[in-house]
Amino acid sequence: MPREAEPSLSERQFVLQALQENLRLDGRELDQYRPLELSFGDQYGVADVTFGRTRVLAKASAEVTVPYADRPLDGIFNIATELSPMASPAFEVNRPTETEILLSRLLEKTVRRSGALDTESLCLVAGQKCWSVRVDVHVLSHDGNLIDAACLAVVAALRHFRKPDTSIEGGVLTVYTAAEREAVPLSWLHSPFCVTWSFFGDEGETAVLDATRLEEQVRVASCTVSLNKHGEICQIAKLGGVPVDAVALLQCTAVALTKVKEFSELVDKKLAEDVKKRDKGGFMAELSAENER
Amino acid sequence: METERLIVLPGETIDPSLIPSHQKLPLRLGPGLRHIPPSDIVPTVAGQLITNPARNSMWIEYNSQRYIPSTSDLILATVTRATPDAYLCTLSPYTPPATLPTLSFEGATKKTRPILTPGALVYARVTLANRHMDPELECVSAATGKAEGLGPLAGPGCVFDVSLGFARRLLMARSREEGGVGVLEMLGGEEGAAGGGGLAFETAVGRNGRVWVGSESARTVVVVGRALQETDRAGLGIEGQRKLVKRLVREVR
Repeated sequence: MPREAEPSLSERQFVLQALQENLRLDGRELDQYRPLELSFGDQYGVADVTFGRTRVLAKASAEVTVPYADRPLDGIFNIATELSPMASPAFEVNRPTETEILLSRLLEKTVRRSGALDTESLCLVAGQKCWSVRVDVHVLSHDGNLIDAACLAVVAALRHFRKPDTSIEGGVLTVYTAAEREAVPLSWLHSPFCVTWSFFGDEGETAVLDATRLEEQVRVASCTVSLNKHGEICQIAKLGGVPVDAVALLQCTAVALTKVKEFSELVDKKLAEDVKKRDKGGFMAELSAENER
Repeated sequence: METERLIVLPGETIDPSLIPSHQKLPLRLGPGLRHIPPSDIVPTVAGQLITNPARNSMWIEYNSQRYIPSTSDLILATVTRATPDAYLCTLSPYTPPATLPTLSFEGATKKTRPILTPGALVYARVTLANRHMDPELECVSAATGKAEGLGPLAGPGCVFDVSLGFARRLLMARSREEGGVGVLEMLGGEEGAAGGGGLAFETAVGRNGRVWVGSESARTVVVVGRALQETDRAGLGIEGQRKLVKRLVREVR
């Protein structure tokens, strides 16, 4: 496996020197995200998130399975993350790097363990049938800050996703196609988002949002805060690195809240646009064979 | 030198009237063209066909993703490791290392040779580039024994990645007329009527798609780097570049 390409000395020194003067290589403010784009696919449950040159695609899917024996009343919810060599030659298939493990752990903690998706609603027949919802995260291009982009993609994909409608009559489970009955959205409780701070300087005095790959390679510490728009913190992960002042961390959390509010507004807006785009004006309009020609 | 501008696609037949014919010199085919005996010349990539009748050569100008070294290219290399008689350098990430002999610096002898730490940047020329061998570099002109601008880049500055095509356009002798790149001139030009930025900086452009920008002021380096990258990524023309420079220079003040 090739080692990750390291930046040259002059790049390292320059990034640090520029950050001391509150300058970033791409001309952003320290607490400014790169231009953020979110788009949905033709299918339900496909979300494509772009942060500058970082691009992450998440796809949600569902199938009917048998629930776990120890949790007969719960459905199954999984997030699968894989960093392919497409993102960087340093990643190899079937051999997870540290980045990949941290990414999947953080997504797990943020989305799954915070109870964003109500797994009880995925149960169809207690102990026998349930929905298994799975989100696949694909990193298409890696230019830093994968965690925030992946988390936004997962949340957007799950909120966009519709699972087929079902009914149970006399112990017989029927799964309807989209033509028979409209698919139903998941029962979604709250939308948590990750905000990652990178710290620079000897004592981590400079805090920077949305680090690019080069900045990630020279930072001394990082801290990921996950919270929803109501300010409820799901998790804070600061894995190693230089110790950071507690007051500074509190300030970071406060700024993170404003960013999370922006994220959730963006997701709400894009979802509303998508609904409008899909709405052809009722069932009759959909059936009509008339076209623009 | 007269040049023709024509876009060709792989496998297309090239009009015989476009192929330069010279009395004495043999025809030289550059990158992107393939000779199929007896007399066919077929492009292997999509790009701009450029012919040079004076030197009886033709090649295709295209934008590729990966840098493939070829002799006498000027490149920006990063030192990764030192061995007793050579430094191992990388030209682009995840590719085999290039060797830079410690004696191929200006005035270097066995006792006095430059000491480069891993991560140091050097501006060098490719002297050997065979398909299945590691490339070799030099920082001194073999003919004159002088550095001629090559050597370690030590001053304050930063490296910016650009596409290979853009790097080649920057290196053209008349980059503004032929390559359509005038950002550096505009940024460094006199302030006032010409709309110059009046910034003081120096650059070293490597054909491996890396540009080093050096200046005492970090702000200048950032502005020049952004101007280069935005021009490259958005494919700006001269007019677009002028607007970009104006906007960036206004931000600095």
